[in-house]
Amino acid sequence: MNSIQAKLMRMILIICGSVLFVACASFFIYEFITYRNISRNELATLGKVTALNSSAILLFDDNEEAEKTLSALKAQQHIVAAALYNDTGKILATYPASLQPNHLPAQLLDSGYSFEGSYIVGYEPVVEKNKRVGTLFLKSDMKAVYNRFTVFSITVIAFFLLVFLLTYLFSRRLQRSVTQPILHLAGVAQQVSDRKDYSVRAEKKSNDEIGILTDALNHMLTQIERQNGEIKALNTTLEEKIVMRTWELQQANHALTEQNEFIQTIIDASVDLIAVLDKDLNYLVLNKQALHFYKFRREDVVGRNFLDVFPTLKDKPIHINLQRALQGELLHMEAYHSQMNDAWFENFFIPLKDKDDQVDRVLIIGHEITGIMKANEKLQQLNTELEKSNRELEQFAYVASHDLQEPLRKIMTFSDLSERNTHNPEIQKRYLQKISSAAERMTALIKAVLNYSRLSNNNNTPLNNVDLNDIVEQIRTDLELTIEEKSAVIETDVLPVVKGIPLQMGQLFLNLFTNSLKFSEEAPHITIRVRPLLPEEVAKNEVLKKDTDYVLIIFSDNGIGFEQKYADRAFSIFQRLHTASKFAGTGIGLALCKKIVESHGGSITVSSEPGKGTSFFITLPYDKKQNPTLTQTHSKETGETFIR
Amino acid sequence: MLTVFLFAALLSKAQTTPSAVNQVKAVFLYNFTQFVTWPPDAFPASNSPFVIGVLGNDPFGAYLEKVVEGETVSGRPIAIRRYAHANEIKNCHILFVNKENPREVLKELAGTAVLTVGDQESFTRSGGMIGFYLDKNKIRFHINPKIAKAANITISSKLLRLANVIED
Repeated sequence: MNSIQAKLMRMILIICGSVLFVACASFFIYEFITYRNISRNELATLGKVTALNSSAILLFDDNEEAEKTLSALKAQQHIVAAALYNDTGKILATYPASLQPNHLPAQLLDSGYSFEGSYIVGYEPVVEKNKRVGTLFLKSDMKAVYNRFTVFSITVIAFFLLVFLLTYLFSRRLQRSVTQPILHLAGVAQQVSDRKDYSVRAEKKSNDEIGILTDALNHMLTQIERQNGEIKALNTTLEEKIVMRTWELQQANHALTEQNEFIQTIIDASVDLIAVLDKDLNYLVLNKQALHFYKFRREDVVGRNFLDVFPTLKDKPIHINLQRALQGELLHMEAYHSQMNDAWFENFFIPLKDKDDQVDRVLIIGHEITGIMKANEKLQQLNTELEKSNRELEQFAYVASHDLQEPLRKIMTFSDLSERNTHNPEIQKRYLQKISSAAERMTALIKAVLNYSRLSNNNNTPLNNVDLNDIVEQIRTDLELTIEEKSAVIETDVLPVVKGIPLQMGQLFLNLFTNSLKFSEEAPHITIRVRPLLPEEVAKNEVLKKDTDYVLIIFSDNGIGFEQKYADRAFSIFQRLHTASKFAGTGIGLALCKKIVESHGGSITVSSEPGKGTSFFITLPYDKKQNPTLTQTHSKETGETFIR
Repeated sequence: MLTVFLFAALLSKAQTTPSAVNQVKAVFLYNFTQFVTWPPDAFPASNSPFVIGVLGNDPFGAYLEKVVEGETVSGRPIAIRRYAHANEIKNCHILFVNKENPREVLKELAGTAVLTVGDQESFTRSGGMIGFYLDKNKIRFHINPKIAKAANITISSKLLRLANVIED
């Protein structure tokens, strides 16, 4: 609070002190030099007087008088040594009489006075009638100078202190006239700033600059007070307005929130998956259905990047479509298969635009169509089957009309002939026999067709464990006579146990054996080889399921064979590769085999060469555990054929 | 030069002519010229020499000439004169009276501006102005300023301080 006082005080004292100090110091130095010179001049005067009185003494060589003259120097207490020399340099007298020689100069100088250390030393020539008759040596200490100096110092210091004190006292009193109004002003300012009380006014005490300052401050305070009032009034209105606006905003906000919640509810209620992503493919919105489908929590996904959440989908169609939609394209992805839940979706990628009509977000709507897809698939499958059966039916109709008409025509022809030949019972009998055999053949045909059609229509028969060894053994017994007649050789591996319908398995092998025994011109040699199907072989065959174990059965003979290009036709119903006249048959056998194998979930193919023989490759699903002895080591060479 | 001789004289008294004492006296005779003022009418002309005279037997011989050689008194050259009789004395400024009984001569000279210097004990009481005497083996002198004053001769106080002043 007193800083300005202190500053002013310090200023005055420093100025005064330095002025005093410089003055005293200069005075001091001046005095010192002056007094030194005075002392020297005094000594010189003394020397001159003494020398003047010494000329006769020197000329008349009067030691006593010389001593007497020098002893007069006693009056000057600072003289420490003196000596009177004649013109040959002989000392006539010294002062004091018992002066030690070391006080005397080593060499006499001509004349002059000088300071030697703390002494003044002088050489005064003694002259009489313009003739140098000798020299007076004088040595004085400087005590006079120092004494005077000491006294002077004390005086100066005392003076200094006194002036300083006076300055202090005066300035203390005088500076008040300057500082007091300033301090008053400062006090008022402090009061204003502390209490924020702008009604305070400073008292004007003088008409100088401080008076102007006071007026200015007061004026300023008045202004502030007035403005304060205005601001307060303004503030009040403003506050009212703010309250109003706040209330309005709250209302609007409330309405908005409700609307938002409503929209959110709708979005969440949607059965479709809905998501919105921003330009950088960060998730902005995900509806409940989407979260449920992917088993996400909203807070774990929103804000994260699409590729961060689904790293495996980088550059997959969905990723590409998202980017395309961000270019402004509305995309419709009719069927998308999600690997996550094995579900199908119909996806829409809809670009969302900001107020500047720039695409800044993309909306994906995923409509689940798994049910439709599954139904579709089933429908397609059914359709295929239907088509197939339709084809077969057409074929059947065609063949039936052709093949069944043939015995019928025979019957009609021979019954006509028999009618005409009633007179000849012998011929008639022969014709009737022919009619009978045709009818028999027709019966066999109809039976086979029935067999085949029963197979097509009946898929619900339960599956049993069928030991193929038993089946083959039974067939060998049934065909014993034929085998013996044709001297056929049958060679077989140990066959597996498979799931199936025993009767159909029997039909399968019976047909194969019958075929082999039938289509041979020399002794038939039949081999059955077995091995498990390798997984890579399963993968190659599109008819087979990937996750099932299959066994490969290779049924080979050395019969007449056929051209490989007819291999597909061999399995068609009523297709005969050889003429009926040469080899009897219905043309249904291999078609039946194919049907049986396929209805057991397997496949059958054929490989043949005319004159060399035929190999059937049959794959059937089997249970590894039930056939522990079945190993890979069997029939490698025959496997190669199959693979090819 | 002068002091060398003086010095030598003081050191050894038994010297050839003149004796050491006389040599000192010769020097003193000259030195008196420095502290004594003669009236202007003591010199007949402005270029008249300053005359030192010896009356009677001359104890200094050529030594006196040697002492004053080259010296002047107030610009005047110094001449040495030797007188046998008092009536020969003319224009003399310092006179060494070497007489058994100087009273008569002194009476004759009284009032003339001649600084009379004598050797005898009673010289200054007999009307002489300066008289040498021996004290503690040192040559000193009496001065009778009254007589000098009567002869219009002024003797410097410096000289008087060194002398034994006789007051009749």
